[in-house]
Amino acid sequence: MALKLDPRTKLFMIFAVSAVVMMSATTPFLWMLRIAMTMVPIGLLTLEKKYASAFRFLLLYSAALVLLFTCISEQSEGFLMALLLGYCCIIAQFMPAMITAWYVVRTTRIDEFVSAMQRMHVPDGITISLAVVMRFFPTIREEYASIRDAMKMREIMLGGGNAARMVEYRMIPLLFSCVNIGDELSAAAITRGLGGKVKRTSVEALNMGMQDYMTILFFSAALILFMVFKYLK
Amino acid sequence: MNDKKLQAKDFITIGIFTALLFVVEFACGMLGFIHPYIVASYVVMIPLVGSIPMMLFYTKIEKFGMLSIMSVLLAIIMFVTGMGYLGAPLIITAGVVADLIAASGGYKSFKKTVISHGVFCLWICANYFPVVVSAESYRQDLLDGGYSAEYCDNLFRAINYKTIPVLLILCFTFGCIGAFVGKAVVKKHFEKAGIV
Amino acid sequence: MMQTVVEIRNVTHRYKGAGEDSLTGVSLTVKEGETLLLCGASGSGKTSVIRLVNGLIPHYYKGKMTGEVFVEGQEVAKTELHELAGVVGTVFQNPRSQFFSVDTDGEIVFGPENIGLDPGEIRLRKEMIVEQMGIEKLLGRSLFELSGGEKQRIACASVAALLPGIILLDEPSSNLDWEAIEKLHEIIREWKRQGKTIIISEHRLWYLKDIVDRVIYMEGGHIEREWTAEEFGRLSEAETRALQLRPTAVSEHFSAAFQDKVDSNNSVRPDVSDGIELKDFYFSYVHKPYVLWKKKFSAADGDALSLCIPELILPKGKVIGVIGKNGTGKSTFLRCICGLEKDCTGIITVDGKEYKGKRRIGVSYMVMQDVNHQLFTDSVESEVLLSMKEKDAERCHEILDSLGLLEYKDTHPMALSGGQKQRVAIASAVAAGAKLLLFDEPTSGLDHAHMKKVGELLKQLADSGSTVLVSTHDPELLEQCCDYELCIRKGRAAYFRTIA
Repeated sequence: MALKLDPRTKLFMIFAVSAVVMMSATTPFLWMLRIAMTMVPIGLLTLEKKYASAFRFLLLYSAALVLLFTCISEQSEGFLMALLLGYCCIIAQFMPAMITAWYVVRTTRIDEFVSAMQRMHVPDGITISLAVVMRFFPTIREEYASIRDAMKMREIMLGGGNAARMVEYRMIPLLFSCVNIGDELSAAAITRGLGGKVKRTSVEALNMGMQDYMTILFFSAALILFMVFKYLK
Repeated sequence: MNDKKLQAKDFITIGIFTALLFVVEFACGMLGFIHPYIVASYVVMIPLVGSIPMMLFYTKIEKFGMLSIMSVLLAIIMFVTGMGYLGAPLIITAGVVADLIAASGGYKSFKKTVISHGVFCLWICANYFPVVVSAESYRQDLLDGGYSAEYCDNLFRAINYKTIPVLLILCFTFGCIGAFVGKAVVKKHFEKAGIV
Repeated sequence: MMQTVVEIRNVTHRYKGAGEDSLTGVSLTVKEGETLLLCGASGSGKTSVIRLVNGLIPHYYKGKMTGEVFVEGQEVAKTELHELAGVVGTVFQNPRSQFFSVDTDGEIVFGPENIGLDPGEIRLRKEMIVEQMGIEKLLGRSLFELSGGEKQRIACASVAALLPGIILLDEPSSNLDWEAIEKLHEIIREWKRQGKTIIISEHRLWYLKDIVDRVIYMEGGHIEREWTAEEFGRLSEAETRALQLRPTAVSEHFSAAFQDKVDSNNSVRPDVSDGIELKDFYFSYVHKPYVLWKKKFSAADGDALSLCIPELILPKGKVIGVIGKNGTGKSTFLRCICGLEKDCTGIITVDGKEYKGKRRIGVSYMVMQDVNHQLFTDSVESEVLLSMKEKDAERCHEILDSLGLLEYKDTHPMALSGGQKQRVAIASAVAAGAKLLLFDEPTSGLDHAHMKKVGELLKQLADSGSTVLVSTHDPELLEQCCDYELCIRKGRAAYFRTIA
């Protein structure tokens, strides 16, 4: 069964994990805390039946950790080794934030997110813009796919070996399309009452439940423990 | 109707261009996976490529708040996608200052727009904040663990607090150069097609 | 007596930056519960009338305007747009660009949320609308995975959720296939039954004949003729043609073809001796699980294939209409032929020469439904030159001349009209030396005159030796210019026959 978390809880998760990834873990206890914090979103992904991504993250993260712990002690030599080590460091360091972000983005509907922002008294202007950003990511992907097709047909994918052309041929049709869609979208949205003086409402009912408080508690505790043991010892 | 205030249409336009800018950032970010050193070239690539949508954006709304809101959105997206929030103050400050500069020229003066875009591009540096901060924390740990300072400095030659000002300056410079590039593209395509 | 709900009083309007008036002295009254059809060529002012009623003119599209418009007693020019939201609802032409949310549920409640209704009330409304429209199956889905017809139904639901008394539809069927148009027809009929006032601007007339009460014919920005439903129904084909309108009825032959009711077994394939041969076209969007190498698709995959055409010979120098319901593989078929799906097997043989894989891109060229995606440069001339391996300005001018584009050679392609853009795309196809030209619904949303032009153009291309494949939902186009019709059903060539 999927554990439904409030978007605000999810935002807090990101907050806590993003803070921890910026501090390096030095003792086994700190590593444990970090790994525990990483396991929570992986577990949540599994509960959401997103097994493939959960598994992939688990594999990548543990591989990076294992490599890091077995290789770091030796003075690593050579370019390849250094590169590999660099990758492992980056993955071990920032992967937790990426996993959490992935979990949040994949499991939160935009309406929920917008509703949460409204609850947090973010002005309507910002929530509207943000909703448009979210709606436009898939639109840009669709438009770009068509543009790529057109480029393939004309065999200009590489812009004749000219980097500026490569950018131009992709960017120009994309901008024209997005501006057009934006105009039509604005007209359609305004005729449905967007931009009125009344405060927007949201059908999305947000309730903080037990699972939310537990998650928040866990992440706050982990974050505080991490800071205490790292800086105060 | 008050034409000075942002309307629903403007919020939609801001959303669209923020999405476009973020896609540019994301595309460049993908290149960063190839080799970590490419990450350093964000300060060149993003201002130049991003300038094309940005210069079009400058012609679209011409009201105060367009850049400020965009910067807030960028900060929110960076936060939600796990890229940290240390950079948020920088992003938003850059956005508001850029907005003020452009507003002082009534969004018409190209000179002001160039500087405004330069300032706005400083947000790109926010990408480096988590890396720099964690690298610094890491370095300290290594020093504490008895490694020599020389070894540590060597390891973090490219990433440390000293590089931030360099990156900021690069962002600003290429932001200004980008403004000219973007302007040229807008002229070549959008003005010629009669969209602007 | 019924109350007047829409009143347009002597309106003249010119868009900002436009050279001529979009509307000249238009006066129109609409009674409550009436269903009105606006017809006429593109640019005759139909859309502008719609925009007058929903207030996008003068609030959104700026320009010069004289005269007044009243909607339910309120003067539109003095009413804020969002105040009109509960009064007038508009369904727009393009299903892709008019939705604001990412999922269907959010889209239906978008309007009520904007006007700040109580969440409980919104939920009730949503349930009611969903039931009325019968769109239960569409709930909880991403709008990006819906077909055009499904998107358009959600757009209708989203408009209806605000419970407007007046509903405007601006060329709503432009991007829809036959089946989706019938669903749209049902929705409009339901609205009519509820007593809503409906104004439809449309080129396709056949599906509206039995719903409309009054028909307005516009020309050059003013109202030229007006018919009651009976008078309109009595118009002969010659009369509609003289007015440059699309026919009000579809012949039996094409009606059966588009509803996919033709028995595929008793149609004989035309005997073609000289043609372009397609062989072994197998493709599926779903891949079989693989370890190291993707397995190639073959006939053995059977029902798992989205496209399965073992052999087909396309007659040279002819226009072949490709028909079939949306989502049955028409687009896949075209994409595979021009090599965009690189996993598709398949060999094209032209004049004894075989083209496989990537090389297929050279022999065929597709003009996309949205031509905006395939225009890259800043002038028509450079656009055509871009397609030439060896830049040859003289040949480029020849091609442009034959398509009537020479005078625009320095214009930015995006500054051209839709039809001209299409011709620019064709010009680059010809310049690239493509022998097989593919068109993906080139006439969607076009009026009669423009459709005729496209038809003539397709014929001209075929006469000059190219083979033209055109996917379409327009029976008129098939009738006018196609020599053969090819029906795609579940990714298979159901039948291929000459058009009598």
